[in-house]
Amino acid sequence: MATQQVPTNPAPLLIPCSYLTTEGNKTGSWRFLRPQYEEKTAPCSTACPAGEDIGRVLMLAAQGFFKEAWETILMENPLPGICGRVCYHPCEGRCNRKEFDEPVAIHTLERFLADTASRYELKPTFQKLPAKRQKIAAVGSGPSGLAFAYFMARLGYQADVFEALPEPGGVLRWGIPLYRLPAEILNEEIAQIQDLGVRIHCGKPIYPQFFKEAGSDYDAVFLGCGHSHSFPLKIPGEDLDGVEDGLQFLGKIRRGQAPALHGTAAVVGGGNTAIDTARSAVRLGAKVLLIYRRRRQDMPAFEDEVAMALEEGIEIWELQTPVKIGSQNGDLVVTLQQMRALEENDQGQVRVKPESNTRQEIRVQYLFRAIGASAAEHWYDPPKKRRGLVRLSNCALLPQSRGPLLVYGGDVVADIKSVVHAVASAKQSALALDILFNEGVKAIQPKLQTCLVGGGPAISMEIYLGGSRSQRNHSVVRYEDLNTDYFQFSPRIIQPGLLREERVLSFAEIHLKIGASLAIREAERCFNCGLCNHCNNCHLFCPEIAVIRGNNPQSRRIDYDYCKGCGLCVVECPRNAMKLEEERLCNKS
Amino acid sequence: MQQVLEGSHAVAEAVRLARAQVISAYPITPQTHIVERLSEYCADGTLNAKFLRVESEHSALAALIGAATSGVRTFTATSSQGLALMHELLHWASGARLPIVMAEVNRALAPGWNIWTDQTDSLAQRDTGWIQLYCEDGQEVLDTTIQAFRLAEWVNLPVMVILDAFFLSHTYEPVDVPDQRSVDRFLPPYQPRFQLDLDNPCAFNQLATPDVYMEMRRNVQTAMEDALAFLEQMEAEFETLFGRRHGAVEAIHCEDADIILLTSGTVTSTSRLVINKLREMGEKVGLLKIKLFRPFPLSPIRELTATAAKVAVIDRNFSFGASGIFAQEIRAALCNLPGHPPVFGYIAGLGGRDITPSVIEDIYWSTKNSPAPELESLWVGLHEVDYAIGRS
Repeated sequence: MATQQVPTNPAPLLIPCSYLTTEGNKTGSWRFLRPQYEEKTAPCSTACPAGEDIGRVLMLAAQGFFKEAWETILMENPLPGICGRVCYHPCEGRCNRKEFDEPVAIHTLERFLADTASRYELKPTFQKLPAKRQKIAAVGSGPSGLAFAYFMARLGYQADVFEALPEPGGVLRWGIPLYRLPAEILNEEIAQIQDLGVRIHCGKPIYPQFFKEAGSDYDAVFLGCGHSHSFPLKIPGEDLDGVEDGLQFLGKIRRGQAPALHGTAAVVGGGNTAIDTARSAVRLGAKVLLIYRRRRQDMPAFEDEVAMALEEGIEIWELQTPVKIGSQNGDLVVTLQQMRALEENDQGQVRVKPESNTRQEIRVQYLFRAIGASAAEHWYDPPKKRRGLVRLSNCALLPQSRGPLLVYGGDVVADIKSVVHAVASAKQSALALDILFNEGVKAIQPKLQTCLVGGGPAISMEIYLGGSRSQRNHSVVRYEDLNTDYFQFSPRIIQPGLLREERVLSFAEIHLKIGASLAIREAERCFNCGLCNHCNNCHLFCPEIAVIRGNNPQSRRIDYDYCKGCGLCVVECPRNAMKLEEERLCNKS
Repeated sequence: MQQVLEGSHAVAEAVRLARAQVISAYPITPQTHIVERLSEYCADGTLNAKFLRVESEHSALAALIGAATSGVRTFTATSSQGLALMHELLHWASGARLPIVMAEVNRALAPGWNIWTDQTDSLAQRDTGWIQLYCEDGQEVLDTTIQAFRLAEWVNLPVMVILDAFFLSHTYEPVDVPDQRSVDRFLPPYQPRFQLDLDNPCAFNQLATPDVYMEMRRNVQTAMEDALAFLEQMEAEFETLFGRRHGAVEAIHCEDADIILLTSGTVTSTSRLVINKLREMGEKVGLLKIKLFRPFPLSPIRELTATAAKVAVIDRNFSFGASGIFAQEIRAALCNLPGHPPVFGYIAGLGGRDITPSVIEDIYWSTKNSPAPELESLWVGLHEVDYAIGRS
């Protein structure tokens, strides 16, 4: 068949086509809902007593900005290397990610950032505030005294720290065993505080007359003397050889004066000092019984620490209390009274009472008491009542008619005795003092109220200084507020550590370092609740192309001439960093 | 090169040879192997196309409408409920004059759930302005798919290449797969007559007032008429290059037939056997295969049936409240011709039921033995139903 000629042209087309611009159609006039960028507060940051901006820290870490992430921690807490090791991380308990798979390993990442800063010998760059004329002293160089001096120095004050012992650090040096906190970490973070101009005077015990004499030298003195005086057991035989104070024992180990232990050691108590004492005794060669008068779940010690103590072979004898200590052939014979659990109190702690006729005797070689501690001198504690006394949630200020203003902080005022609570107390003290110097005592409460992270109680230095964090809405992001379609399941990092068998042989640090790639992967798990990480979803989803992006991500804005208020951007924002509000009539003028 | 391919893969090979640039599909039942193979080709670089895995068939076609407006060659495939979901956009694609090619595997519509072959899904879309081509075997599927791009791009209308589920989509047959160079000669790169252009921005398909809407509709119909003429010329060119021609319709022994069987799809192949047998028995029977359904090839159908005494239409589809859809079309085509043959309508093979040679023979004898159709449609091979089942 012959090929036929294909027609040269198809029929002409008739379709609607317009070359007029559509920009004349200002679709913004249809809008009755207005989307806006509004950063909110992440729950982790409200759970952190120091109010660290965790969502932002992890966003920076995920992007590889380790120095900036570290500095963001330093804004609220001068001790990330220490807290990244010893903090009980209440932040992780509030992490929204736990509703999705597992909480982000914030604790591990805090330590990673501090270790990275240390490894590269980074120096933080801080905004310099004008020098203030007031002079400040801190008594005690424990976590609260160090943190107080740090925050005061950041605010422009000259601060002197007085320490009775030959080296600074307080409980960080003498109370926390090396396997949890190596000395070089402590030394580095103290040195960083000194780099800010803080002067630390060691071997300078302070006595009450100092407050009279120092009147002309210092405008305010911070008392962060801590709880160094252990409670006695108040039972017969307490003064026998082999019975020792747990805190003293930990200090002796740090001074290199602890002997090897042989036989069995009983540790009495259920707090962190008891656990530290017990685990240290294991490392010195003892078999350890931990004797606690309530149940295991009532122990005030941090859960992870108790779990590791059990792994290391420590036996916990719950509902037992020593009533008498005797001596026989060089051994201690401890009489234990069985206790009975009664009803629980508001904090979930149980009341106990002795079970009649149920006593037993045990034979041990050592007994350490660690049933709590109080201030070593009565004047370390703030007075209950005094004219002019200002009691805040986490510190107390006492103006004196003669002599410097006194500020009480740290363990003597904190409900929970932890390093991060000491930092929180120091920050509140420092900010309160700055407000007092600048605006008078009446301004303290209202001004601090504006610096709360979310609903508090944590206070933010960055908000106080008017940083970008102060623009955030205080409402705390809930899991339901996130668009989790944009997140993928990903297992939580497991922090590498020494094997149990290796751990008990020495005081070497248990937890090992992690590498940057692992840290970034973990930081990427963070939802960055309420924060914009410039994912660009709002721009991509806007049907009107009304999300305008300049060259720099911060210049992102909504062109309300064309935004018709459909709310897609708000729905597709994975992190709840936008809000949609009813349009107010006055905006339509 | 001869290859043994299933019908679905024949489509995929044709799309590869046609160098489609954007392929969009929703990969779930009632989808077929067509896009499975194409997605592999896109993934391994065999085909340099963007494969869009969307969230519904509605989106699959919407995405192609966007892509085609930007001036690229586009393809999708679907079936039954998927096609039904596309309905709104089928109108849009033709009204917007976009040369989208779709492979439509004829599957029965639910409920009850049935993924076997049945033409009602595509025939229900007959008024959407798409060219519809019903294929008989694997070779025709491959050839028609390649031609579909050429045809679509010439007349600026979307084209549906239609194949029976399982009997064709999942059946392996020897298929001659042409070489790329020859296909490139037949089908040069797409040269859009209009497209989105960043340097000369415009908006397409907005308001059309009563002043112009009617002219636009007529313009679509003109293109349909063009397609009818162009198909023949294009097939001639195809035949020159590849030696095969399928035709808008195909007539077998129609010239002297008293009774002409009228079929579409795979039932045509079975019918070829049956009429050969009947011819050997001395029966004057012919077979008219209808491949092109839209635009409807009125002239050849009128000419080829003019001398017959009776026409028997086998419909694997049904329009509720009326009759088989091909039968309707044939009646409409013939009704104004004086003395036209009576049209016998048979409904068979719905929901994938086999249309065996004996079913076709029965249809022939029934037609021969009835002086005139008693019913609009005669349902062939219906089973006795016990209506008590499922009542309790």
